[in-house]
Amino acid sequence: MKRKLALLLTATLCITSFVGCGGKETAENGELNIFIWTEYVSESAIESFEEEYGIKVNVSTYSSNEDMLAKLKSESEGTYDIVLPSDYAVEYLIAQDKLEALDKDALSNLSNIDEAYLDESFDPGNVYSVPYEGGVACIAVNTSKVDKEITSYADLFDESLKDQIVVLDDYRAVIGMTERAMGLSMNETDPETLAQVEEKLLSLKDNIKLYDSDSPKSALISGDCTVGMIWSAEVALSMDENPDIELVYPSEGAYVFLDNWCVPKGAKNYDNAMKFINYMLSTDAAMLNIQDFPYLCPNTSAVELMGDDYIANEAKNVPAEVISSGEFLSYLDTDTLAIYDDMWTKLKE
Amino acid sequence: MAGKINHKFRANALPAMIMVGPVAVIMLLLVAVPLIYVAVMSFCSIDEYYNLTSDFTLSNYGRLANSDYIKIYGQSLLIAFLTTVMCILIGYPFSYFIARTKSKRKKILYMLVIIPFWTNSLIRIYGWRTFLGTSGWLNSALMALNIISEPLDLLYKNGTTVLGMVYCLIPFMILPLYTAIEKLDGTLLEASADLGARPVSTFFKVILPLTSSGIFSGSLMVFIPCLGYFFVADILGGGNSDVIGNLIERQFQSGNNWPLGAALSIILIIVTLVLVKIYQKLGGDMDALGV
Repeated sequence: MKRKLALLLTATLCITSFVGCGGKETAENGELNIFIWTEYVSESAIESFEEEYGIKVNVSTYSSNEDMLAKLKSESEGTYDIVLPSDYAVEYLIAQDKLEALDKDALSNLSNIDEAYLDESFDPGNVYSVPYEGGVACIAVNTSKVDKEITSYADLFDESLKDQIVVLDDYRAVIGMTERAMGLSMNETDPETLAQVEEKLLSLKDNIKLYDSDSPKSALISGDCTVGMIWSAEVALSMDENPDIELVYPSEGAYVFLDNWCVPKGAKNYDNAMKFINYMLSTDAAMLNIQDFPYLCPNTSAVELMGDDYIANEAKNVPAEVISSGEFLSYLDTDTLAIYDDMWTKLKE
Repeated sequence: MAGKINHKFRANALPAMIMVGPVAVIMLLLVAVPLIYVAVMSFCSIDEYYNLTSDFTLSNYGRLANSDYIKIYGQSLLIAFLTTVMCILIGYPFSYFIARTKSKRKKILYMLVIIPFWTNSLIRIYGWRTFLGTSGWLNSALMALNIISEPLDLLYKNGTTVLGMVYCLIPFMILPLYTAIEKLDGTLLEASADLGARPVSTFFKVILPLTSSGIFSGSLMVFIPCLGYFFVADILGGGNSDVIGNLIERQFQSGNNWPLGAALSIILIIVTLVLVKIYQKLGGDMDALGV
């Protein structure tokens, strides 16, 4: 028995080591190491890039900007050729001189991108970044169970919603929403103002039933929660499952995010990285990406070719005015972030 | 003389070094070094970009004395305490039954406790969510049987967190209890009965004292992980009641303040050591903990 087991193990080892060799074919035009969000970039888009350009793409993934920033810090320079940070993380990387400027001449497909998404506050002139996809923290309401009309973030503080709401388990999102509901910026830094924000935030405590960033739509679909403050793409997916769910873009202007292609300092395959970014800006790639991940897409040429299922669906194809009236997060100094963190701790007592 | 020492060394120390050496190196690299790293980090500062700097500071520990953090420690200790009590109340009769049963099915019963633990705990905890949800199996069944007309609201409460913790950790209570109860000498129970003790007083005067070592080690093995099981508090408690584990997780993730997270971890380690020390003082058997 033991002998058989040993034989089997040896055989498995041999086979797997061959598989390892087989996988390590070097593509004719070198390789590219990309570091991207999980469940966000279409695999078929990456594969067709590999075929078209003969470049081998090695994919690593992360599930939060903080994860990504920590990894970039700890890995040696040149480990990754591409990263996909959100707005405030781009700002942070630029401030620390961690990004290479992009070669605009190599990015001919940049013309596909709607100008509304270019030249944003976190990277004026798009020197270091170009937009990929984005989204909005909007409101979802199960109209068969909620009588109150909800039009704004401020409505979520209403006492009638006691123990009903699912919010993102993300303190910048929930505190930011509170600030917007008070007519403030999501990036307030004044301690006295923040003391008032804290008071308002704690009044939301009784209404929140669930904090969930991984799959907040599940609690809405199952009926455990009737109102949600969640990402627009999640609302889109929950509407497919439960027709009673309606989407509301808050009247105060929403928390919006935009993820962007960047090249970290010291990238070893800069030229391949430019080819990759340019490919991702192309109509074909953008269509593959929104088919798989129906977030907000700044690529107008791709959006025009999508069916009504995408174009007419406000949750997927977020209206431009929602974006222009919304606000991005920005990087906060350590003292201010500590105040935010303390508020969040109080909420979780 | 020198030859003698050399000989002695070869006879005693060398085999010991060969046998223990590799383990010692592994322990040093994988346990001691990371712990020292965390301890050192807890005295470091961060710069304006949240990078670790080597400036010595006590401010991380200062922040831990904040009343909000203390409330969360209290809340976490309370959840751990309730979980431990529930585990004893459920685990004791169960262990007693399997340890004392004469049936041949004893081994099967014992295995039934262990087998679910071959499945990842995260998956089993998500299972509870599906089971207890508004449109979950429990509510659907109760409504189909006309016992209730409106679905019960069971999820995302402190009680659900305790339920999840009890579910995850009860084997750590049952297994030491089983060992302690199995060792119990049946003739002592007979003697107690012969001397006129009723079953209740036999239980409290004979059985309970003789099996208390199992209760002690079980309690320790349930109580300590409870302080750190942040995913149970997140998934079943809905994030409404944080445990110490959540505080640590947040500082290493979205809070991006590793020194503060390290200081929180050190506090958790100190709490654990104090509990183990109390256990030892109460006459607990260190071997029973499997450490």
